[in-house]
Amino acid sequence: MNKTVTINISGIIFHIEEEAFDKLSKYLATIKGYFNRTEGGNEIMSDIEARIAEMLQGRTSAVKQVVLMADVDFVMETMGRPEEFAGDQTHENPRSESEIPSFDINEPVKKRMFRDPDHKAVAGVCSGIAAYFDVDVVWIRLAMFLLIFFGGVSLWIYFILWIVIPEAKTTADKLAMRGERIDINNISKTVKEEAEQLKKRMEKYGNDFKNKDFSQPRNFFDKVVEFIKEFFLMFGKLFARIIGFILLAFGVLFMFVFISSIFGFSLIGTNSEFNDWVNLFFLERSHYTLGIFGMTLFFGIPILMMIYGGVKLLFRIVYTNRWLNLSAGMIWLIGFIVVLFVAITTGKDFGNEGKIKEQVQIIQHDTLYITLNKNKELTAHTSSNEDSDEDDYRYGSMKSRRNNDYVIGNTGKKKFIIGYASLNIVPSLTDNFEVYIIKKARGEDKRSASERAKLIDYKIIQKDSVLSLDELFTVSPDEKFRVQEVRVLIKVPRGKVIHLDKSLESFISDVENVTNTYDGDMANRRWIMTKLGLECIDCEGLETDPHNLLLSPPPSPPLPPGNVNENSNDGNVQIDKNGIHINSKDANVKIGKDGIHIDTKENNKD
Amino acid sequence: MINSENTSNPSGSNERAGAQTQMRKGVLELCILSILSKKDAYPTEIIEKLKDTKLVVVEGTLYPLLTRLKNTGLLAYRWEESTSGPPRKYYKLTEIGLQYLKELQLSWLELVDAVNKTIEKNN
Repeated sequence: MNKTVTINISGIIFHIEEEAFDKLSKYLATIKGYFNRTEGGNEIMSDIEARIAEMLQGRTSAVKQVVLMADVDFVMETMGRPEEFAGDQTHENPRSESEIPSFDINEPVKKRMFRDPDHKAVAGVCSGIAAYFDVDVVWIRLAMFLLIFFGGVSLWIYFILWIVIPEAKTTADKLAMRGERIDINNISKTVKEEAEQLKKRMEKYGNDFKNKDFSQPRNFFDKVVEFIKEFFLMFGKLFARIIGFILLAFGVLFMFVFISSIFGFSLIGTNSEFNDWVNLFFLERSHYTLGIFGMTLFFGIPILMMIYGGVKLLFRIVYTNRWLNLSAGMIWLIGFIVVLFVAITTGKDFGNEGKIKEQVQIIQHDTLYITLNKNKELTAHTSSNEDSDEDDYRYGSMKSRRNNDYVIGNTGKKKFIIGYASLNIVPSLTDNFEVYIIKKARGEDKRSASERAKLIDYKIIQKDSVLSLDELFTVSPDEKFRVQEVRVLIKVPRGKVIHLDKSLESFISDVENVTNTYDGDMANRRWIMTKLGLECIDCEGLETDPHNLLLSPPPSPPLPPGNVNENSNDGNVQIDKNGIHINSKDANVKIGKDGIHIDTKENNKD
Repeated sequence: MINSENTSNPSGSNERAGAQTQMRKGVLELCILSILSKKDAYPTEIIEKLKDTKLVVVEGTLYPLLTRLKNTGLLAYRWEESTSGPPRKYYKLTEIGLQYLKELQLSWLELVDAVNKTIEKNN
């Protein structure tokens, strides 16, 4: 009585004696080994299997149902030994002798990883892995399923494995897939064997050297070369797995990072302010989408290839997919080109700066009082309202920071890009005060840039001798964000006086004066234009005793609406919905919903 | 066993056997093309015909050859269901294959002629 196994060759079921089955499966595996690297190897293999199926079918019948050893022998005899008919294939695909498998009945079929098409749910990846590690496929599927919740990592891994692991197409593949019974320690076992082999070789060569007669230098040289070759071959085999493991580990790690950053990006995408900026920055919404897409390919493909290469090295999968490498390269290139395209088209629109200068007609006075109009109705709606509050009590230290800040604000329905303007004061060449608004923007060329600059909305209002400058300028979102800037230029004729209100502290920028006073300290003072430049009228003794100034308070300019502006010579008190705000030259006190903040000048310098 | 090169050629060294194998393989190509020029056939049929002429010693030789000829565009194939076994791959000669066969036949005749003359002369 003999045990029989049921097998499927080319879609035909055979009952085969166990011994005969072993022989046949080894035979097929050997043939497969020969044609492994041949073009169309799989096709040849399935042709051969079809023929074998036919032969076996001819030798079984309703009476004799089982394939016996004699039948397998007959098949092998008719088909021939693999090295007989497949030998010349090696001419086309040279490989070292040690790699050519020879048909040895005693050697167990080498286990290889395949996708299992007979037990597949999607592409047979899980069932293939299960077959390789000899575990129930349920566990692998469960693990894959659970990993989906980690940002879909397993979807990507599955996809890579789908590509990297060949499908078990032929019976030989399927036999190799089940192969020799191995457990999860198989890889470490193989690695150990390889290390052992390496050690043995080293010892052999070591002995060779010791016993070597060095009178034949040529021979010795050959030996050394051979040794180095062998060494690297063995070493390479061992380290290929280690490198494979490292690649795989880092690939998976990077993929985690990558996926979570994509995840993060899509979260930001739901943030309306970020969305607004995206629309303002890119020419079209689609460019942003395209850019993200390009970036995904640009970074994603190398990560996928890392995992791909890692799996291949670690599990020593010889099968190469030329198309895969080629198309991966192409896709990466597409990603690169897309990123480049978006960068160039977007960058081009920032390429040139345009500038326009608009003169504001004003009524002349001997002394001009300059104040700041804080446009509260705009700032109140900006999403970073609290930030600007913070600025308010920090302004003593660094006011220019504001000039580079842009926010998105709205009045009712309409949205605006809001920027901070700045002020410069220079001598006038005429006898009159002259006021200019200089608007700047960037664009594809100088003309479109100045067109864009012209559309910046900024106002200066004169009330008697008081010139009220808007703190903020607005840009319609249709004009996009193109580093719009507004700078007010006041030209002061010689002998005339200009008073800068306290509120201008952070508004003045780079104004030249005789005493080299810092911009922020220029506020709340009167300045006269002399031959040499701006000179402070009421700054005397400021450095030594600022309290002197109490004796000569400058006239208070009209207050911006909504502010209780107790303007003394070097401080003010502001009460608004944000709380009470006391500014003086030496300290700022802010009492608001966040508590009480006291900033002294000393602190600010730190 | 099946290694007929060595049995039919007791004095043959590996090299000589190799030369014979190569020669056979070259001729085999011509034979396969000729067989297929008459009628489409599937591998088993081709093998049956070749076996009569003792050109094929082991069947395995045929499959890589057929695939190679197909890949170079000389042959095409179609699948046909079989009542008694796996579906059959029927090979047929393509236009290029036919062209190639004609050239091959011509040069074969020339070769045979030349070889025969040389052999006769030296006998």
